[in-house]
Amino acid sequence: MNQEVFLAMPVFLISAFAVLIVVLDAVSGKNKTINFAFGIFSLLATAGAAIYTLTLQVPKLVNPADYHDIFTITKNTMVFSSYSAYFDILFSLAGILTMLASRSFISKGYHEYKEYYSIIILAVAGMVYISHANNLLMLFIGIELMSIMFYILSGYFRQRIESVESALKYFLLGSFASGFLLYGMALVYGATSSLELNVIAQFIAKNNFNATYLTFGIALLLIGLSFKIAAFPFHQWAPDVYQGAPTTVTAFMSTAGKAAAIFSFIIIAKALMPSFTNNAMRLVSTETMQMILAVLSAATMLIGNITAISQKNIKRMLAYSSVAHAGYMLMGVVANNQLGYDGIIFYATSYLFMQIGAFIVLSVLENKDSSNINLDNFTGLRKSNPYLAALMAIFMFSLAGLPPFAGFFGKYYLFLAAIQSGYTWLTIVAVISSVISVYFYIGLIVYMFFKDSDNPIAKAELKLSSVSLFVCLIGVLLFGFFPSLLMNLYAIIK
Amino acid sequence: MFNIFGIGPLTLITFLPLIGLLIILAIPAGKDEKARELSTNLYRWLTVGFTFLQLVIAIVIYMNFNNALPGINDANTMQFVEKTPWIQLHGLPIFGDLKIDYYVGIDGISAPMILLTAIVCFVATFASWSIKKAVKGFFMMYLLLDIGMMGVFISLDFFLFYVFWELMLLPMYFLIGIWGGPRKEYAAIKFFIYTLFGSVFMLLVMIGLWFTSGTFNLLDLANPANIRPDQIFSGFGTTWRLWAFVGLFVGFAIKVPTVPFHTWLPDAHVEAPTPISVILAGVLLKMGTYGMLRIAWPIFPEAVKYFQEWIALIGMVSIVYGALCALGQHKVGKRDLKKLIAYSSVSHMGYVMLGIASMTSAGVTGAIFQMFNHGTITAMLFMIVGVIYDRAHTRSMDDFGGLANKMPVYTGMMAISFFAAIGLPGMSGFVSEALVFLGAFATYPLYTVISGLGIVLGAAYMLWALQRVFFGKLPEKWSGPWDPSGKLYKHDDINGIELTALIPLAVVVIFLGIFPTYITNMMTESVNQLIHFVTVNGQFTGL
Amino acid sequence: MLESIPLEYYLGLSAIIFAIGAVGVMTRKNAIIIFMSIELMLNAVNLTFISISSFFGNTGGPIFVLFVMAVAAAEAAVGLAIVLALFRLKKTVYVDEVNTLKW
Repeated sequence: MNQEVFLAMPVFLISAFAVLIVVLDAVSGKNKTINFAFGIFSLLATAGAAIYTLTLQVPKLVNPADYHDIFTITKNTMVFSSYSAYFDILFSLAGILTMLASRSFISKGYHEYKEYYSIIILAVAGMVYISHANNLLMLFIGIELMSIMFYILSGYFRQRIESVESALKYFLLGSFASGFLLYGMALVYGATSSLELNVIAQFIAKNNFNATYLTFGIALLLIGLSFKIAAFPFHQWAPDVYQGAPTTVTAFMSTAGKAAAIFSFIIIAKALMPSFTNNAMRLVSTETMQMILAVLSAATMLIGNITAISQKNIKRMLAYSSVAHAGYMLMGVVANNQLGYDGIIFYATSYLFMQIGAFIVLSVLENKDSSNINLDNFTGLRKSNPYLAALMAIFMFSLAGLPPFAGFFGKYYLFLAAIQSGYTWLTIVAVISSVISVYFYIGLIVYMFFKDSDNPIAKAELKLSSVSLFVCLIGVLLFGFFPSLLMNLYAIIK
Repeated sequence: MFNIFGIGPLTLITFLPLIGLLIILAIPAGKDEKARELSTNLYRWLTVGFTFLQLVIAIVIYMNFNNALPGINDANTMQFVEKTPWIQLHGLPIFGDLKIDYYVGIDGISAPMILLTAIVCFVATFASWSIKKAVKGFFMMYLLLDIGMMGVFISLDFFLFYVFWELMLLPMYFLIGIWGGPRKEYAAIKFFIYTLFGSVFMLLVMIGLWFTSGTFNLLDLANPANIRPDQIFSGFGTTWRLWAFVGLFVGFAIKVPTVPFHTWLPDAHVEAPTPISVILAGVLLKMGTYGMLRIAWPIFPEAVKYFQEWIALIGMVSIVYGALCALGQHKVGKRDLKKLIAYSSVSHMGYVMLGIASMTSAGVTGAIFQMFNHGTITAMLFMIVGVIYDRAHTRSMDDFGGLANKMPVYTGMMAISFFAAIGLPGMSGFVSEALVFLGAFATYPLYTVISGLGIVLGAAYMLWALQRVFFGKLPEKWSGPWDPSGKLYKHDDINGIELTALIPLAVVVIFLGIFPTYITNMMTESVNQLIHFVTVNGQFTGL
Repeated sequence: MLESIPLEYYLGLSAIIFAIGAVGVMTRKNAIIIFMSIELMLNAVNLTFISISSFFGNTGGPIFVLFVMAVAAAEAAVGLAIVLALFRLKKTVYVDEVNTLKW
């Protein structure tokens, strides 16, 4: 009982801080630094609490069917596993990195409103709810809280048509997808008469459910979640939104947002795809679902990478590549085993560092109206901004999955997981699509390093972004050279 | 064994350049002209210093190398071994722990390669004097490349090998792409995509092998006793295993390169700056054949037996086709001297393929010796092209003629290297080619005889090139000094820095031509062990 | 009474409403009408929840519906603000006229 209060600390803290920072907005007057500092502090505190819970004896990611009423204070609406705590840290970290980089960026592009920081805190709160959800309602609230904050953030540059357009598209398609998600939840509720995932899993394990409702429910859930992670064929919104949104916001959305969406995928898959049941009564067996997901995953990474090749705008190119990365992470869900979930964790972590890093480099180099982030604008960047160009190159190599950077090991574990569960063909598709992806990642390097330009982008001022970039670089290198640091971190915790 | 603060000689020789890299990173390039010149010289001499230290360590390793220990599949007879856990994941379902070690060691196959890498890296530094653009970045990338190459040759863990293999790709890409010739972007991307394409197959095979044997240790992977039942590569002579071998072979063959995977090579060589061409031809190409001997042959012995004749055929085609392409440089287009030498590399690496396909003691010994000799000889050839290109800014053979009077010393060096490349007796190339033919003739007489055509063609294109460049009448435009201002070149002939690079190589080439046993003795035991191992294990199959 | 009408009828009705909403989202061009269609979809889901809950005699459904309504209200606030921002810039609310982002 007592321990559980500590376990729930990250959730309590981020909720409290999210309310407090809104209040602070009202009373702090013109002082933006207070809000900024408070935002950073609350994320640090959340991360700290989550790190503390990792040292307690908590289950890793138990089968929902296995846990009985152990989480009493939250009435089973929440679950406190080490995976949840780990993702809390990840979300807080993404928030911190984004906030540090945002400060100078948003005042350069528009105007620094202090509410920006509150919105980020609220979005992180939504993600934290997702990572702790054991109840469909909790999951829904988490996803919606996060999504609504993203709608606002993408439209932050409200004097700029691209930003508003991306917000509109994101809003319309996002709430459309929420409708599907919600309907899926309703049908799963109808099939099993419960909203709690562990109870649902137990019903499914006992073959005690309405097969028709469950089948449609799962199908609708899949559609809704595919929208949220931008998987094929529901990925079209991603490039538009990621391109139009302010770059730091894109960094945040495409990493933490994607990790949260993937995590909700894991939760759902864990409850609805038990690998131990005989699925005699179900219309959609676990194998069929795995197969569907595998096809989605393969299509997502191929489409993402192939379309990225023809892009001229770097932000859009990275947006398509992030679609492809969602496909890689889906491989872990397809594998549906411990190795796969561990692989997702590693991948999400390494992806966070390299993708946020790449977007922050972009944000630093952008001009006032973000019109200079086409490939040819980056010509000759080696001369004017050698260190930023080198950083970008490292992030690109890591995104392309080349050793010894973190991206390689992330992919490597997912490949292992997919092969282990018998999806060798999916691994081969993944390998081919990463070779395709190398083409555009190193294409950017060609522009930055191999071509010379008369008027390259002027030397950029880093300010606080340098801290974010440094952290990202350390992450990419450290987990690249010593992946066992990260992998054993949560192996020991168990 | 000797250690410095617990660091073994192999770790030292591999990661020494890292220190140099960090020092160079720390030294600012300087703002004004004078500071810039000072820092440029500092970078150069730092690189010379560190590669020289490497060479010293390589020689010390050579002196302490015990020729009687075979190595190959026997962990106890590997030399200078270091083993520390690197990546460890505990309690994976089904397969237990994932264990990747920092496991390095050398035997008779890798020891000559270490020596070769040290020599080539040292001399190529002197060829880097002509680099004028972004010198700091160049030498940093150069040293990084050095680390990657050494690492490949010392790794005894497949994962470690793969990481070094890919690590070397990155600096190479920048070195061609930034400091290369007019079509550098195309050449760099082509090189990168080709090599990467090959290495992803290697990655897949590596994952499959881990599922099969539960380890990345190359020696354990080669041991059939470690193969678990009912895994992807279980059982000998299965279709999956044959495909895996093909995957590995393609990955390595792209690097060699053999026909039909060779098309990246002429582009990369022609566009790369001189020192990088030297390293590319001198060391990088050897990684392909080294990988075959170290990884593909011991792990898939039955597949070697199955594909043996095809590999020999590929070797033969590479020899003849490479030589014909080189000869074709005299007929078509710009008569590019560098392209000619690039194609001659394809031909010469074909001998290596033929030798290792023969699976005879003489053939494999000859192949490894040929790897070493080709490294030194081609390094010379590329440097010689570099010398003339720096002065005349053209590589077309049509633009030259009669240089013998203008540059007598240079002509002498060029003659040595060209004759060595032809395989003139008394030069090292002769010994290795003779050994390869001797060994291959026992197994594949027909292919060997046809391959002999390569020697004839080789003599033709090399001598023709020699004649076009050095004899006849000096063109009008070169009658004056190379550099009228006298700033860059004081004399018309080759200068001291360039000679420093060329003379050690010439000495090695001639010395090994007369006393080949100084290298071949290192590998005899290992080669015999390898052949024995592959032949015995290759029997398991019903193929 | 409720028991006299089978659950399937309620679910069928909500499925039809949901489909009408979904088709509306895909065919209409006016951002406001699209948004209304989305609200229709959410209300169809609410109906599903309520009827299932009533059928099982379980309180989860109505609670969920309350939250869905709250979330829909928040979405409406944000959505209309975005449409307003768009109208200020482009003087239109038709989504096919908003096409600056494409490849």
